[in-house]
Amino acid sequence: MSLERPDTADDAAVERTPDELEALLGDLVVDRDDHLNAPGFVIRPDTVQETLSLLKEQAGYDHLSVVSAQEYENRYESIYHLKKYDDPTQEVSIVVPADKDHPVSESAEPVFRTADWHEREAYDLIGIEYDDHPDLRRILLPETWQGHPLSMDYDQDRPQIATLPEHANPLQEHHKDDESDTMFLNIGPHHPATHGVLHLKTVLDGEQVVDVEPDIGYLHRSEEQMAQSGTYRHQIMPYPDRWDYISAGLLNEWAYARAAEDLADIEVPEYAQVIRTMGAEMCRIAAHMLALATFALDINGDFTATFMYAINDRERVQNLLEDLTGQRLMFNYFRLGGVVWDLPEPREEFFSNTRDFLDQLPESVEEYHNLVTSNEIFQMRTIDTGILPPEVAKNYGATGPVARASGIDYDLRRDDPYGYYDELDWDVVTEEGCDNFSRLLVRMREVEESAKIIEQCVDLLEDWPEDERNIQANVPRTLRPDDDTEIYRAVEGAKGELGIYIRADGTDKPARFKIRSPCFSNLQTLPEMSNGEYIPDVIAALGSLDIVLGEVDR
Amino acid sequence: MGASSVQLFPEFLAEVLGLPGVLGEVVGALIAAAVVGNIVLAFTGVAGPWAKRKITAAFTDRLAVNRVGPFGLLIIPAAAVQLLAKELIVPEGVDRPTWDIAPIILPASALLGFSVIPMGRLGPINFQLADPEVGFALVFAFASIASVSLVMAGYASNNKYSLLGGLRAVAQNLAYEIPLIVTAMSVVIFAGTLQMSGIVGAQTETLVTIAGFDIPAWYAFVNPFAFVLFLTANMAEIGRNPFDIPEAPTEIVAGYQTEYSSAYFVLFYLGEFVHIFLGGAILAVTFLGGASGPGPESIGFIWFVVKIWGFFLFTQWARSALPRVRIDQLIEIGWKGMLVLSFANLVLTAVIVGVIA
Repeated sequence: MSLERPDTADDAAVERTPDELEALLGDLVVDRDDHLNAPGFVIRPDTVQETLSLLKEQAGYDHLSVVSAQEYENRYESIYHLKKYDDPTQEVSIVVPADKDHPVSESAEPVFRTADWHEREAYDLIGIEYDDHPDLRRILLPETWQGHPLSMDYDQDRPQIATLPEHANPLQEHHKDDESDTMFLNIGPHHPATHGVLHLKTVLDGEQVVDVEPDIGYLHRSEEQMAQSGTYRHQIMPYPDRWDYISAGLLNEWAYARAAEDLADIEVPEYAQVIRTMGAEMCRIAAHMLALATFALDINGDFTATFMYAINDRERVQNLLEDLTGQRLMFNYFRLGGVVWDLPEPREEFFSNTRDFLDQLPESVEEYHNLVTSNEIFQMRTIDTGILPPEVAKNYGATGPVARASGIDYDLRRDDPYGYYDELDWDVVTEEGCDNFSRLLVRMREVEESAKIIEQCVDLLEDWPEDERNIQANVPRTLRPDDDTEIYRAVEGAKGELGIYIRADGTDKPARFKIRSPCFSNLQTLPEMSNGEYIPDVIAALGSLDIVLGEVDR
Repeated sequence: MGASSVQLFPEFLAEVLGLPGVLGEVVGALIAAAVVGNIVLAFTGVAGPWAKRKITAAFTDRLAVNRVGPFGLLIIPAAAVQLLAKELIVPEGVDRPTWDIAPIILPASALLGFSVIPMGRLGPINFQLADPEVGFALVFAFASIASVSLVMAGYASNNKYSLLGGLRAVAQNLAYEIPLIVTAMSVVIFAGTLQMSGIVGAQTETLVTIAGFDIPAWYAFVNPFAFVLFLTANMAEIGRNPFDIPEAPTEIVAGYQTEYSSAYFVLFYLGEFVHIFLGGAILAVTFLGGASGPGPESIGFIWFVVKIWGFFLFTQWARSALPRVRIDQLIEIGWKGMLVLSFANLVLTAVIVGVIA
């Protein structure tokens, strides 16, 4: 079947038991701190680089998913969640405690480039300092912010002053010397091509980009802290809809559902899993349609027909999702242990609407191929621009269509199966181009795969016996996972690996709730893709990354 | 040629008013210029707030401007009031008066171009203001003043996006004006004159007769290759997709016009539309037989209007369907492709005309 992975003879792909890993790391391991998803090794804060490079080079852990940091009563802690691109079920957590009074820990940036932003975020929100970090600044909050909001002694009543003059004003600098004559340009925070509030600090040499630095945080809404102050059972589920708010809501909800269900050991009924799978793929189609629409906007200009056509198609899925969930964007449809309600009555109407949509979809996709991807000017603009080689993509922790367009065969739906995906027949789409064109092509082909999945789900749901339509498992009214259990679980969101790390402390609220946003990691690759290219290529590269600032900033 | 025998619009007015000599020339010219100018401005008035939206909506499967008045037509006065009532924001550090003059030059230069365009007859009136012997050269000269305006606006706005837009405008105009004019010269070789009426007159003959239909000797039929070249260069000249690089709203935020608001913005917008219509008019005169068409000569003006609106429709079509090329690609197409092709076309035409004639 298509879901089986090709065998790799590589040593790095060999799965090692936790004890073998401990033997490999030897003296570096101070203690064991296993998480529900992976073995955890506690190491000294000054051996981070040594440990991670050993795991990367010797054991093949080439994917640093996320760095979750938190403060305990007696210490600070950074957790490096490592995986393998070849097999994401092989996970290991590296736990790095840091001193309570003087929290300093070695940076992982020289080993994994992606650690750059993740550690900056940990510094910004928790207050851990990372030695040997190339650029340890705040990332989500303004430079003038006082205190670290997720640390224990943070005083949230303290007035914060974040005035404009306090920011560096690069406009006043003259970027001129004897050899070069460059110009500094602020692209954003309000710019038609940033798809939200993103600020690109760009240095130009004529029309060519010398350097670009994304400045994020304009849409930071303390989503992690809000989740930490809500109860597991009901109060957290509405938030995921607001991360990737481009109608990818169900995919986000699944990320929380998966992590919390595994944490509380809840078994989801099969029927609910099929509904979840169907709904999630509808969301994926809607999200990819919008990605196509806005990418056309970036390449064609603001009166392009492609935009409206794609929005039209998205609207059709949106209507189906509205029928299913009762909402158009902020679905709040998943519950721990299932979904909130069954398919809409009359069921036949919903099925026939869905089938109508699936029937006309190939025609639409054909039209996009005629209008967009076969257009010579479009190809001229996008092929061989915004190159992201696979090694670089892995180093930055890129996932989702961005990684798959660089030839990285990585899709959590197949590689770390959840829901009903492993029972269905579909393919993981990859392209070898590594360029802007490939990233669009991957999304367009994924739409067709999603349609295949939805069709199979509809077939299953139609024939589902009426007395076995169990939409929710029995879940206690109040969930109190055991004290000091930790879990990191990810699902394949519209933009890539959307993961949640939860630490339970025995209460009905998470003690730490960390979101691994795929856009956050993907956006980090932008400088790699655009340095040396022309301004329009930066815009195209940004569009092809398909970021949603709500998810980048959380 | 027989061009001088046709009575021009100002002469006609002088005769109707019964004013002799210099006085008649001056008064006739002023009134005629006002009429022609207002006709063109009326076109842009219809095109900008209404037709453009209707056309784009039709291309993109949606409805547009259907709320105000019949077919939404009253949006035209509504938009005019709205645009003029907006506050004119003058950013700090703009280079005045350059910043103020730029939005006047663009529509002015495009309007000036219409002074030599033979727009055909409507009843007794022949809509052409002047017919100098170098009319063809003059119209290109007027049209290219537009890029001066874009550079002025881009430079004076004290905005980096505008500056980039201004630079792009220069690069684009250099790359496309030469192929445009060289291609136009091949038409001059056919016609043997630079006089506008002469070029139109040369296209009235019949090229071939197919099944009883006379195919006129429009240069688009005589030399389709040159027509396509000219059309492409013309799109770049007026800065429309796929060559809307100086504006490129999703890249450099409307380029040279980023900092303009209110009446100044209207002037730019107006100037752009007049420029599109001028581009259409030049195309019609050079390749589509000017005002010629089926029916009597006295409705020629209507055919001319149809042709320039047809060109306008084409620009909107391109805008809805075509991606924008990158600035370096545009310059490559211009200097490495179009320039070579246009010179090849010129030499070939010269040889063919030389051998035949």
